[in-house]
Amino acid sequence: MSSTDTLPLPLPHSRNLAARSLRWRQAVLARLRDSALALLLPAAIVLLWHLAARHGWVAAQILPAPEQVALTLFELWDSGELWANLSISLGRVAWGFSAALLIGTALGVAMGLSKTAEAYLYPSFKALSEIPVLGWIPLLIMLVGIGEAMKILIIAKAAAVPITINTQQGIRNIPANFLEVARVYRFTPRQLWLKVVFPASLPSLFNGLRYGLTNAWLSLVTVELLASSEGIGYQMVWGRQLFQLDVVMACMVVIGLVGLAIDRLLQLAETFLLRWRRSAF
Amino acid sequence: MTDSKLRVRAVAKTYPGQDAPLQVLQDIHLDIRPGEFLSIVGSSGCGKSTLLRLIVGLENDYQGEILLDGQRITGTGLERGIVFQEHRLFPWLTVAQNVGLALENATLSEADKQRTIAEHLDLVGLRGFESAYPYQLSGGMSQRVAIARGLVNRPEVLLLDEPFGALDALTRATLQDELRRIWQAEGITMILVTHDVEEAVYLSDRVVVLEPRPGRIKRIVEVDLPQPRQRTDAAFVAIKDDVLSDFGQLPRPSLLPTSWPARSAADYLFAL
Repeated sequence: MSSTDTLPLPLPHSRNLAARSLRWRQAVLARLRDSALALLLPAAIVLLWHLAARHGWVAAQILPAPEQVALTLFELWDSGELWANLSISLGRVAWGFSAALLIGTALGVAMGLSKTAEAYLYPSFKALSEIPVLGWIPLLIMLVGIGEAMKILIIAKAAAVPITINTQQGIRNIPANFLEVARVYRFTPRQLWLKVVFPASLPSLFNGLRYGLTNAWLSLVTVELLASSEGIGYQMVWGRQLFQLDVVMACMVVIGLVGLAIDRLLQLAETFLLRWRRSAF
Repeated sequence: MTDSKLRVRAVAKTYPGQDAPLQVLQDIHLDIRPGEFLSIVGSSGCGKSTLLRLIVGLENDYQGEILLDGQRITGTGLERGIVFQEHRLFPWLTVAQNVGLALENATLSEADKQRTIAEHLDLVGLRGFESAYPYQLSGGMSQRVAIARGLVNRPEVLLLDEPFGALDALTRATLQDELRRIWQAEGITMILVTHDVEEAVYLSDRVVVLEPRPGRIKRIVEVDLPQPRQRTDAAFVAIKDDVLSDFGQLPRPSLLPTSWPARSAADYLFAL
C-alpha cells in the first residue's frame, strides 16, 4: 500500500489520480456486491414461493403464483387504481407526519431544555405513548368520526413518539463543553441555536425522523385496513373480501417497497448532512 | 503591546459539598503584568483550573474581585480567550469554521474575518488544512486549531487550561516551542495552568505554586532566564528542581501522565 492511500487528509497536493480512480472503482464494486447480497434472500423466497405454487403445496386460491401477483401488480398500476389509492395513502402520511413533526419537535425541545417541562410532561407523554395505535382507534372514531381526521391523528401519534423522544435526547446530550465554548465567545441565543444546539442534536433528530416516518407508514396501513374506503390498505381489504389474494399480495409488495424507499431516501439525506461524522465514531 | 493589567484580589471560592461546603480557593492575590507569561502549577484538586474558570468568567459565584484594566469581570468576554485541555472543536465544522467561531461576534467585515482566520492558521502551522474536519486531525493538530481559535480575536489575556496535558511527549515539546514563539511574537498576556513543572519553567516569567485543600498560593517563583531556554541548562534545572521540591511527597502528579485512568483499590487488589 502506498503512503498516499493511508494519508488521513485528502489534501490537494496529496491527490494521486491513479490511486483515486482505483479507490473509486473499488467502492463501486463493493456497492454492487452489497446490492447483490441484499437481493439474494428475496430471490430465494420468490423461488420457494414459485415452487410452492407450481407444485400445489398450497392451494392456488390461497397462495397465487409470483407470476400472477406480478401480473396483477402491473394491471393495477396500468388501470391507475393502484396509484389513486397509493397517492391518497401518501397524502395521509404527509399530513400526519407534518403534524407529528411540529408537535414532536416542540415537545422534545421543551422537555430537552427544561427539567421543569420534563417533570410536567414526560410521565403523561410516556403513558399515552404506551397505548398502541390500535388502542386509540375505537375512542378516536367516537370523537372525530371515521374520516380523514381520525387517520391523520393516528399517524401523527405514531410518528410523534419517536420524534419527541429523539429530539429530547438530542438536546439533553449536547456536551456541556460545547455550550461553554459558546459562552466564552458570547453567542446570542440565535447563534447558540444555529451554531451549537441544532447541529449537535442533528444526528439524534434524524433518528427520530427515520423512526417516525417508519411508524407513520406502518400505522397508516393498520388504520386503513380497519377503517377506510380508499387508500392502499383499503385496496388490500377489498382484495381479501373478493378472495383475490393476488391483489392482497401485490399491495403487500407495494407497501414494503414504499417503506424501503422512504427509509433509503432519509438515509441518503442523513449521510449527506452528517458527512462530518464520517468514521468519527 | 497591550496595557491590560489583570488583578486577582482576595479571591475565594466554595462549592456546596454533600456534607459541608468545600472550599477550593482561599485568599488568592495575583497581579499579572501586561504581556507576562504566568504559569500556575499544583497537584490535582488544588483549584488551579477553578481559578482559570473564574478569570474567564465561566463561574461567577466567588468572593473577592478579579479586575481587568480596573473593571470587575462579570461573565465571559471577548477580551479573554481560553484554550481547554480537550480541544473542544465542533465536529460538524471545518478547521477554518471552528476558528471562525471566535469571530462570530467580532466587528469585522467578512473579508477581514477570512483573512485573519487564514493568518492565525498560518501562525499555528496549519495552512492547507482549512477545509479539513476535526475527525481528520491528530490530537496535536486539533490543539493547534484550538490555540488559533483562542488567539484569533486578539484577546488581551489568553488562558490555557492544561492545553498539552493529553498529548504525547514529542508533540507536547513541539507545541511548547510553538506557544513560546507565538507569545513572543504577539505579546499577549498568557496564563497557563499545568501539571508539568518543566513546561511551566520552560515557558513562564513567573511560576505560581498552589497548595491544595483549600487552594492557596504557596509561593511565586521568578524564572529569570533568557528565551528560548535550554531544558538541560544548569540554571534551568536548578529552578525546576526548586519548584519540584514543593511537591516533595510522592506521588508527584507532575510525573504522572494526566491521561492515565484513575485507579481504584480493586485494581491493586487484583494485581496481587
